[in-house]
Amino acid sequence: MVPSEAGAVAAPRRGLSWRDLGGAIRLESLVVLVLLCLALSLLSPYFLSVANALNILLATSVIGILGFASTFVIASAGIDLSLGSVLGFGGVVGALAVNVLGLPWPFGIVLGLAAGAFCGLINGLLVALAGIPAFIVTLGMLGVARGAALVLTGGQPIYGLPAPLVWLGQGRPFGVPVPAILFLALAAVTHFLLSRTRFGKYALVIGDNENAARATGIHVARLRIGLYTLSGLLAGLAGLLFAARVNSGDPTAGISYELTAITAAILGGSNLFGGRASVVGTLIGALIMGVLQNGLNLLAVSSFYQQMAIGSVLVLAVWLDQWNRSRGRA
Amino acid sequence: MQRRILLLAAAVSAGLAVPPAARAAAPTYAVLLKTLSNPFWGAMAQGIAAGGKASGVAIFQQAAASDQAAEQELNICNTMLERKPAALIASAINSSNLLPCMKQANAQHIPVVDLDANLDPAITAKAGVKVAFTIGSDNIAAGAKAADFMAARLGKTATGPVLVIEGLAGNITGEQRAQGFRTELAKVAPGLKVVASLPGDWDANKAANITNDTLTRSPGLVAIFAANDTMALGAVESVFAAGKGGKIVVVGVDGTSAGVKSIKAGRLSASVAQLPYLEGIEAVANVKKILAGGTVPSVIHVPTVLLTQAVLKAGTDPLLQYVK
Repeated sequence: MVPSEAGAVAAPRRGLSWRDLGGAIRLESLVVLVLLCLALSLLSPYFLSVANALNILLATSVIGILGFASTFVIASAGIDLSLGSVLGFGGVVGALAVNVLGLPWPFGIVLGLAAGAFCGLINGLLVALAGIPAFIVTLGMLGVARGAALVLTGGQPIYGLPAPLVWLGQGRPFGVPVPAILFLALAAVTHFLLSRTRFGKYALVIGDNENAARATGIHVARLRIGLYTLSGLLAGLAGLLFAARVNSGDPTAGISYELTAITAAILGGSNLFGGRASVVGTLIGALIMGVLQNGLNLLAVSSFYQQMAIGSVLVLAVWLDQWNRSRGRA
Repeated sequence: MQRRILLLAAAVSAGLAVPPAARAAAPTYAVLLKTLSNPFWGAMAQGIAAGGKASGVAIFQQAAASDQAAEQELNICNTMLERKPAALIASAINSSNLLPCMKQANAQHIPVVDLDANLDPAITAKAGVKVAFTIGSDNIAAGAKAADFMAARLGKTATGPVLVIEGLAGNITGEQRAQGFRTELAKVAPGLKVVASLPGDWDANKAANITNDTLTRSPGLVAIFAANDTMALGAVESVFAAGKGGKIVVVGVDGTSAGVKSIKAGRLSASVAQLPYLEGIEAVANVKKILAGGTVPSVIHVPTVLLTQAVLKAGTDPLLQYVK
């Protein structure tokens, strides 16, 4: 990667980009999203409506929040493969706290978030202090967190959550689903965190060049621990939302969601090798997948064609991005 | 560091190679499950354990890490044969992954049981593998039972759109349930039209999304059939969140504990319960019969039971004791 591509920090950008948003958001992904919406509006009379737009936001919220989590880790040239499992673990811990231990509902939220953050903290400690590659550490956590969720529940979903928790997943104040509100609010908060604070900017710097970051006095280990903990915390939150939506803490919730989350970040223009990442980009990436899935459902496309369509759009979007990037450099 | 890993590997493989000769004289049945991370297989494991206790045999049970780990399951199977079990009861992840191991079992004169009917008889015969018997639920009949319930609840002359949420694309169990449902529904209530049949991948969240999307397309939706309870729960919660709770009939398959609770709470309309616990007991009992020189049918169907609020409240169906 060309060093100046760390441009999300300060350097001028190449190719088309939307500098106003401060991050490395690529116009290409927005173009793909808009084209997709246009095509689906023509193909299905049900697509273009406020209610359907809210449905898409609701459907994208869990994956999108995981996408934000992966964006921070990817910014620092790391990877978090445990997201889907930590989601399952967080949801199960939250459900157990209220359903089996009988604690008041706020404890369910706090313990679910804490369970996610704890997994992330362990990931961070092992990556930053023990120096084990993030790929291995988080792959290990993928197994451990999923196993822990299964052990805690005996493999059975924990059914039935108190009304305030269910509201978190199913409520619709003013017709807007609560997960959609949380999703957009988190997009704003995490975007600010990544692009406007020292924490986020330093994450991009260590992703671009760790040695240089160290030389300038950035405490790399502490930052990494923070990044993985944040990733786990967000996965725990996604797990609580998942559980609230389906009114049960399911130990198998979120299997392989990490791959979709990472795909959302890459679709949004984040560089898998660090140094360039944007929350708004990930938001768009997640929406591309959400819109596509929604459209395929509205059109009642059969399962085999769905997989082909999703795979094709992913490759097309990344290819457009690469093409424009190389053109900008020439 | 490397040496330590080697030592560890040596210790692990030595542990696996220890012959079970020192174990009790009771015959050991090797039981290989697809996965344990699923209530259905958890109940199956309990049933097999109970069956082992009832028949006075030792059970050596293992499972693959997930129901996608086909190659790993074959490796586990091969390792199990090293222990020279009296029988191999296996639920293969797909119709071919365990065939080499089963062929080896045939060569060792170990009877092979196709647990939960995962094998394709044509492929099995082609591979030259002999199966003592196949035991499982009839998934086509389970889907049909759901359609019958829907027709009874809505009326045979009812009209309106129906959504089918399938399992993982290409998975035979989900396909058979969906197919059984569609065929029977067209027969018993032709006015109910399946407007969409979409893959929920056994995922509650995806099923919730599909339900939302279909409600956008067909606001007058009258019924939903999901190929398992996990997805049915996602669908029914989505229905309630959309303010249509109680107005749309939602039926799942499996009869999981969460499904039962949802039915009792008046949310899920019904679930066609398969009885993995009973299946486990029956599998062990029939193996014992074979080993004693008896004969059993080549295909054994385990019954299913339709769970509704009324059935659960009455609690008189003798099969309910097997609903875990």
